[in-house]
Amino acid sequence: MMEVKSIGSFKELSKIFKIKEMGAIIGFVVIFIVFSILSPEFISWGNLLSTFTMAAELGIVAIGITMLMISGEFDLSVGSTFAVVPMVLALSINNKINPFLGFIFGIFLGAFIGYLNGIVTLKTEIPSFITTLGSMMFLRGILLAITGGFPIMLQEDIPFLKYFGGVCIGGLRYSGIWFIILAIIFAFILERTKFGNWTFATGGNLLASKALGINTNKVKLINFIICSFMAGLAGITTFARFKIIDPTLGQGMELEAIASAVIGGTFLSGGYGSIIGTFLGAFMIGMVRSGLVLAGAPAYWYRAFIGIVLIIAAIINTKIRKKTAG
Amino acid sequence: MKRFFPLLILILLISLLVFPAYSQAKRYKIYVVSHGGPADPFWGVVMKGMKDAAAKFGVTAYYLGPEKFSIKEFIDLLESAIAKKPDGIVVTITNPVALDEPLRRAIKMGIPVIAINVPDDRPPEKAIPYLCYVGMDEYLAGVYAARRMLQEFTPKRAVIAIHEPGHAGLEARAKGISDVLGEKKIPVEKLDIGTDPTKALTTLKAYLQKYPDTDAIFTLGPLGAHPAIQLVEEEKLVGKVKIGAIDLTTRITDAIKRGVVVFTIDQQQYLQGYLPILFLKLYLDYGLIPQEKVLTGPFVVDKNNVNKVEETVKKGYR
Repeated sequence: MMEVKSIGSFKELSKIFKIKEMGAIIGFVVIFIVFSILSPEFISWGNLLSTFTMAAELGIVAIGITMLMISGEFDLSVGSTFAVVPMVLALSINNKINPFLGFIFGIFLGAFIGYLNGIVTLKTEIPSFITTLGSMMFLRGILLAITGGFPIMLQEDIPFLKYFGGVCIGGLRYSGIWFIILAIIFAFILERTKFGNWTFATGGNLLASKALGINTNKVKLINFIICSFMAGLAGITTFARFKIIDPTLGQGMELEAIASAVIGGTFLSGGYGSIIGTFLGAFMIGMVRSGLVLAGAPAYWYRAFIGIVLIIAAIINTKIRKKTAG
Repeated sequence: MKRFFPLLILILLISLLVFPAYSQAKRYKIYVVSHGGPADPFWGVVMKGMKDAAAKFGVTAYYLGPEKFSIKEFIDLLESAIAKKPDGIVVTITNPVALDEPLRRAIKMGIPVIAINVPDDRPPEKAIPYLCYVGMDEYLAGVYAARRMLQEFTPKRAVIAIHEPGHAGLEARAKGISDVLGEKKIPVEKLDIGTDPTKALTTLKAYLQKYPDTDAIFTLGPLGAHPAIQLVEEEKLVGKVKIGAIDLTTRITDAIKRGVVVFTIDQQQYLQGYLPILFLKLYLDYGLIPQEKVLTGPFVVDKNNVNKVEETVKKGYR
């Protein structure tokens, strides 16, 4: 009798742990509590909102990368796309081209970069790691060549940019609102639509998906486009706030975006992951950063702490998955 | 074919007229080898200095630098410059250990060497025996920055925003600042802000929240200065929190005019291209050479001279 009961309660427990985002949620809560205890300023609205703004920029990129990673591919060029798309916008405005046209052109360019990454990867069957490593360098090179290494400053005030980088209410910025909206949209697409299903299947078992008649190349290609599109959009939110593009903008972002996704439970190997997890992952990286400053930790330790959080989160995620699978 | 030969002779005659250098006395050939590529705006100014001096003193000067930062490629370029047996080499001592062997070989061959931009910072008995160094002292840049801030006011607490911890030049600047402020018992701390503007701004903001008595921010390059300017303006802290910067960009000079940034430090790299050519010419002709260090910076840019500086930036002298 006892045995039956314990199996029953284990099933109940595993049901809760079956939530994909459990690892991210636990991590999020733990970090939140620890920093709230360490520093009273941490839970002030001002800090939480500015931390959220920081998370938003990274998070928008990470949502795109999560979609792509689930479908079994990588994109290392997001950091360069993050800088090149707003550069196009800035150059259009500075050259007296209609800013809205410049915006459309920039966004299209972002999507087009994804299209190229996808086409080259899928047609030539080289790993996307290599393709996008190449496009990362190529795009950064283009950026350096065009700017000559100088920062590009926006020369006039463009009202509509307010809806990307400006303040919405209080300390909440529009970039944060975009982050929430996009997270909801893509969580819905991933979990509730056919395309989401195909994405999981393509990354989980490519051959089986092909056998089932899924056009896996098309699924991957669309996710490549989504990924670059999001990186470009995130770049525009940053540019809209700072009105300047330094030639190094976005460098190293690809790894942090991948880290957000992994902390949120997404697999490097594809086939498994969650947008809500990534959302929390990006927020967690932001919290660790501002939390450590507010706790008065020695400045040179941030990177080390983020590294530790990344590894612990990955361990928790793997353990939970094994529990639920077994 | 009949028309071809007169044409050839004509071309030869014209080329003799156009390039009198080949028919006249030998011109000095000098190579400037740096770790910075010609597309880098900073090195563009150095190149202009080099070209201007070469034209003025009748010297032929060549600029070599890798497109993208790479010690290996830089050394390869230096090797090819040495192989040409020039009359002088001007070189950045970006990595003293890697440059030690080729430069000592060049000096042994009798090629005079002048260091620019980055000196050999090892003790004198171990350092490469180049003729002299022309450039800025990074530590001194920090010292000048802190002193200029102290002229403005005595901060209650200062923070040094470092965007690339571990970068030897930036760390030396930071040390200069903290040494001067430390003497005055002003609490000062380094803050790792990273290179992303949003992250840098949020990190600085969190620091100001943690230590609200902070009234001075030192930035060590544009990647620190730009977000700091944005933060101070967004949070309406102009006048309450003062920024001291190092390096020149239009965003920084603009902010100096608006009173958001008190000053910035320039290393006048035009002189790092110009002076070595002049010095080598004097050395080759008369054996004259300045000793040890000729400092081109730190030069303080503030409200008093910002307009003049801005003009010369546009003309490519800064």
